[in-house]
Amino acid sequence: MSADLSLLFFTAQVAALATLLVLGPGVLLAWALSRPAWRGRSLVEALVSLPLVLPPTAVGLTLLWLLGRRGPVGSFLHEHLGLDVAFTWKAVVVSTAVMSLPLLVRSARAAFEEVDPRLVGVARTLGRSPLRAFVEVQVPLAWRGLLAGTVLAFARALGEFGATILVAGNIPGRTQTLATGLYQRVQAGDDAGALRLAGLAAALAFAALLAVEVLQRRRERSLER
Amino acid sequence: MSVLELDLRLPLARYELSVAATLGPAVAVLGPSGAGKSSLVEAIAGLRPARGRIVLGGRVLLDGDTRLAPERRRVGWVPQEGALFPHLSVRRNVEFAAAGADRAPGFEAVVEALELGALLERSPRHLSGGERRRVALARALRAGSELLLLDEPTAGLDPARARQALHGIRELRERFGVPLLVVTHREDEALALADEVLLLDEGRVTAHGSARQALRAARLPGVAAHGVNVAPGEVRAHDAEGGVTLVVLDEGHEVSIPHSPELAVGGAIVLAADAEDVLVASEEPRGLSARNAFRVELTGLVEEAGAVLVEAGQWRALLTAAAARSLGLAPGASAWLVVKTHGWRVVA
Repeated sequence: MSADLSLLFFTAQVAALATLLVLGPGVLLAWALSRPAWRGRSLVEALVSLPLVLPPTAVGLTLLWLLGRRGPVGSFLHEHLGLDVAFTWKAVVVSTAVMSLPLLVRSARAAFEEVDPRLVGVARTLGRSPLRAFVEVQVPLAWRGLLAGTVLAFARALGEFGATILVAGNIPGRTQTLATGLYQRVQAGDDAGALRLAGLAAALAFAALLAVEVLQRRRERSLER
Repeated sequence: MSVLELDLRLPLARYELSVAATLGPAVAVLGPSGAGKSSLVEAIAGLRPARGRIVLGGRVLLDGDTRLAPERRRVGWVPQEGALFPHLSVRRNVEFAAAGADRAPGFEAVVEALELGALLERSPRHLSGGERRRVALARALRAGSELLLLDEPTAGLDPARARQALHGIRELRERFGVPLLVVTHREDEALALADEVLLLDEGRVTAHGSARQALRAARLPGVAAHGVNVAPGEVRAHDAEGGVTLVVLDEGHEVSIPHSPELAVGGAIVLAADAEDVLVASEEPRGLSARNAFRVELTGLVEEAGAVLVEAGQWRALLTAAAARSLGLAPGASAWLVVKTHGWRVVA
């Protein structure tokens, strides 16, 4: 049981870190994508959404190539910072972050697009730069959508399997998460243990999704008012 | 007095809007919906891409090498329905722009002028349409705007509230002396707020001049309708039993309008009567309430498609060609104009 709980904590920690990692860039990306068409917007949009449609193992393979000791990013990190990412908990964070980013960006973008553009225009005529109008008007008005996107990204990070197992492996006590641990137990014939993990994963994901639902309900109500 | 110089071209969905004009301190941009009025206003505020030149009070906002960002133009924009920040209280909406605006009128002055004292802690969600617009005006004034752009300031308000709104805007104009550019599709509103009218249709300026000139020019092609007489005056007295309120027009005539007890005696108002509702008599009418008949000298007759627009100074009456002929009207002759009590409406 304590092994189950430590898996649960590790998974929750990694998912939280991954969510924190994508929050800033994700919100800024969403904002940029919600602004009137600029050169290259479609390209950025497609790139950000790619992990949603690719097999997660393909994303994992790409990350492994990038972050491996001989990969372009991995070799740089190893030589200059003495940092190894592949097959460590850091790789779990990176892979879950990449897989969660599109969900956050899509929710946040929808939330920004719901804000009346005239409000941003008024803020500009009242002396605000585009960035300050964003912080003072768009973010506070879109906050429920931002929060919902954040929780969705967190829930996605909790259950990530394909990309994680390729770039971080499935090392008990080091890179194993609820999802990869469950897979290992099934392989080993420990069906009861696997079921317990499935239950834990379900409870965690359910709580996160319930939170999204409640927030969205409140958002709708606040829009009606 | 020149306040705003425009030489603008901006692409719209169906055509390119092109406007070149030098404008004074109280301008109405008048035109049917879809004429590009709101787009023009957004371009002046810097919120919509445009080519050309904009100079406000000697400052270049836009030309070949300059393109000031909206936050540096000092142009206040009051969109339709006000566009208040829904997450901020009325107070914080008004104070949103206060930072660094040293030329701006003080908070207290603005709040008092727009009668917002009781609303300050409220949320914009719980304000009426008229209240929202007042807050939006206060917010734009408080920002130290050197030009106020008002987009359809009475759209969606019932006639009584629209009247109050126009009245309030006239007072603001006097009190704070901020130049106005008002977008509207209503002639009487244009005449009540502006000295100068720019008529837009399908992306082109079809007339520009003093309010009356522009409207007259616009009426000539195709004519038939919608001449509005607008006259400022002062409320003299109420006669509840008689069902009338007496008003002395600034030019001296006393007229009666439908009983309107909400108007303060001694207060300034603006009346309007459609040209179709003005009768013309070649002799002094008898057996008629003397009040609403007054003597004028005819200054012009414009005939078009079976109708004649009779002009007498600032007054206009629309008659059928047959009626005009039988009266033997000619420029320079005296005539009496009659407006029935219910032909008057209070604009501001």
